[in-house]
Amino acid sequence: MIVAFFGTGDMLADFSNEALRYMSIVAGFALLLGVISITRVSAGVVRKREKDWPHKIVLLLCLFTMAGFGIFQGITSGTVFEWLFENIQKPMMATMFSVLAFFIASAAYRAFRARTVEATILLITAVVVMLGRVPMGQYVYEHFPAVANWIMMFPSVAVQRGIIIGAALGAASMSLRIILGIERTYMGRG
Amino acid sequence: MKMPGDKPTSFVERIQTIDRRILYALIFISVIVPLFLPLKLPVPVTPETRDFFNAVEALPDSSIVMLPFDFWPSTMAETEPMAVVGLRHLFGKHCYVVGLSNVGMGGPTIADRLLDSIGGEFGRIYGIDYVNLGYKPDYRAVMLGMGTRISDIFPTDYRDTPIEDIPLMRRVPNYDSVAFIFIVADNVAVDYWVGLVNARFGKPMGAGVTAVMAPKNLSFVQAGQLIGLMGGMKGCAEYENLLERPARATRGMDSQSMIHLFIVVFIIMGNVGYYAGKRRAARS
Amino acid sequence: MDSVWTQPFFYFFLPAFFTLAVYSFLFKDNPWFKFAEHVFAGLSAGYYAGLIFTSVIKQQMIVPLVSSGRWDMLIPGVLGCLLFMRFFPKVHWLTRIPLAFVIGTTAGIMFLQQLHGLILPQMKSTLLRLGDFSNIVIVVGVLTTLIYFYFSKPHTGALGGVAKVGIWFIMVAFGAHFGYTVMARVSLLIGRMQFLFVDWLHWAQ
Repeated sequence: MIVAFFGTGDMLADFSNEALRYMSIVAGFALLLGVISITRVSAGVVRKREKDWPHKIVLLLCLFTMAGFGIFQGITSGTVFEWLFENIQKPMMATMFSVLAFFIASAAYRAFRARTVEATILLITAVVVMLGRVPMGQYVYEHFPAVANWIMMFPSVAVQRGIIIGAALGAASMSLRIILGIERTYMGRG
Repeated sequence: MKMPGDKPTSFVERIQTIDRRILYALIFISVIVPLFLPLKLPVPVTPETRDFFNAVEALPDSSIVMLPFDFWPSTMAETEPMAVVGLRHLFGKHCYVVGLSNVGMGGPTIADRLLDSIGGEFGRIYGIDYVNLGYKPDYRAVMLGMGTRISDIFPTDYRDTPIEDIPLMRRVPNYDSVAFIFIVADNVAVDYWVGLVNARFGKPMGAGVTAVMAPKNLSFVQAGQLIGLMGGMKGCAEYENLLERPARATRGMDSQSMIHLFIVVFIIMGNVGYYAGKRRAARS
Repeated sequence: MDSVWTQPFFYFFLPAFFTLAVYSFLFKDNPWFKFAEHVFAGLSAGYYAGLIFTSVIKQQMIVPLVSSGRWDMLIPGVLGCLLFMRFFPKVHWLTRIPLAFVIGTTAGIMFLQQLHGLILPQMKSTLLRLGDFSNIVIVVGVLTTLIYFYFSKPHTGALGGVAKVGIWFIMVAFGAHFGYTVMARVSLLIGRMQFLFVDWLHWAQ
């Protein structure tokens, strides 16, 4: 992949392209591993009549229904697969994450204390950005939006950039270690 | 002497220990009241959203634009309105849209519905004006592979039609024909669009991202790797107002204002109570 | 005449039911939430099964094989099937073959993407003229942040002083990030409330 990047000829470019194609397919099979795992675990719970086993029957029924319709009828618009996703799965996913709003507000109220200089800086910045980034903020203090803009485009960008560079250096060095065979933990023991 | 479990007696203690169910009820009220009594506050526009809008506006009509629907259903309150406003802007300019998704869970299904629905608003025809390539695993392989030949990664579209049979895709063998990439994402796929596609193939791109991701992606905007950014529901509301088609994101801004104000007031109350309690303890 | 089942209340009843079932968890764990949770887990797993069969096995493997005679498409299929050997302890070691392929390819892509796509452009855009206060803030912020995260030497003396400045910059950035995180979570809640009160009940606009 690295050598092909430098444009060293058609054969290597073709090999690189085929590798990408194969990788996409193998990654798809890897996603199926999770499906098989959850089926095995749930079936085991039902077989041994462990705690919550009736719920596992519900899980397995839903799994096979969705998979069955997807495989035999298809997954595009107008299918049962799409209907189940739009009317049951999608609203539940959206709702599960929306619950976080309650928790974050409650946590901010209970735990957000300006105990140190650093915590005070964090708190003041958070308040300025929270008010500066909503329409009402300009009515609380007319310069909140401009101050929030400046904070986001300069000091925040600086720190995020430092973190991006640091993390990217780490990821690049880890990739090099894998390529050179120094890092083999992904292979497991033995 | 006070023991743990004793009921709070002073005002200072009581404002630090409000029952969480009362908090949840107040949050609920501050979200729904503006839905019934809209304040219709004007939405100030940030530079990064304006740059994004202007970049799309400057595209020649009939440009081919790639629109990755790289978001999970869990964040669709923020991201779906971005995809909608982006499609309205692009279809309004007679641009051709190549849709795809790098998120397996729901991405291609949502893309199909939105493309058909917004395309239908403008009388656009599937296969000629827009196409949904669907989803293929491993976004790195997908993004790099499309640089050579899209048909290698997507032999068919989402609806099982061979790529070579789709009129629009005959004009888009790879990124060369793509004028702009309008990313809507809620995950690190943006880093790869920027780091792989923009860096290697030089494709101009802008991104609509969730508010959680916006601070990081502003670094890409400042570096010129992204032309512009829609950050969260607020960014989408700004774009809707620039397009002069206020929609769901704009209507949500009043609730956003109320609840932010509410949270700030309670943070301040909690800190006032904390410091008052510390002073009282120091005196006694 | 429109059927009663197309009226918003009934049309959206099922999504609204599951939305409220998930919200019921805010009061306490209950059978409705448990039911919704297991339906969700089952449908999610089933979704992936249907999606991978259609998008990968059918469209990426079978279509090229049948229409273009691409028998080499069986190679990634075999590699993918080797991943399932992890369920059989005696031949568990076969999973290393596809893993090595995927990780090797990914390492090559990542190495280039991180260096060429992230580090170099970000460093280049930090080289700014220092005549402007905001540019000074960016340069100082990036350098002090990187120095703060350098833990190979103790943060004492001059290094400690610079790291201290870095912490202040980091606190500003984390405060801004917290503000945006609140904004994000609240937006998700607003979205669900819009669905319940506008789409389903039609009580608001």
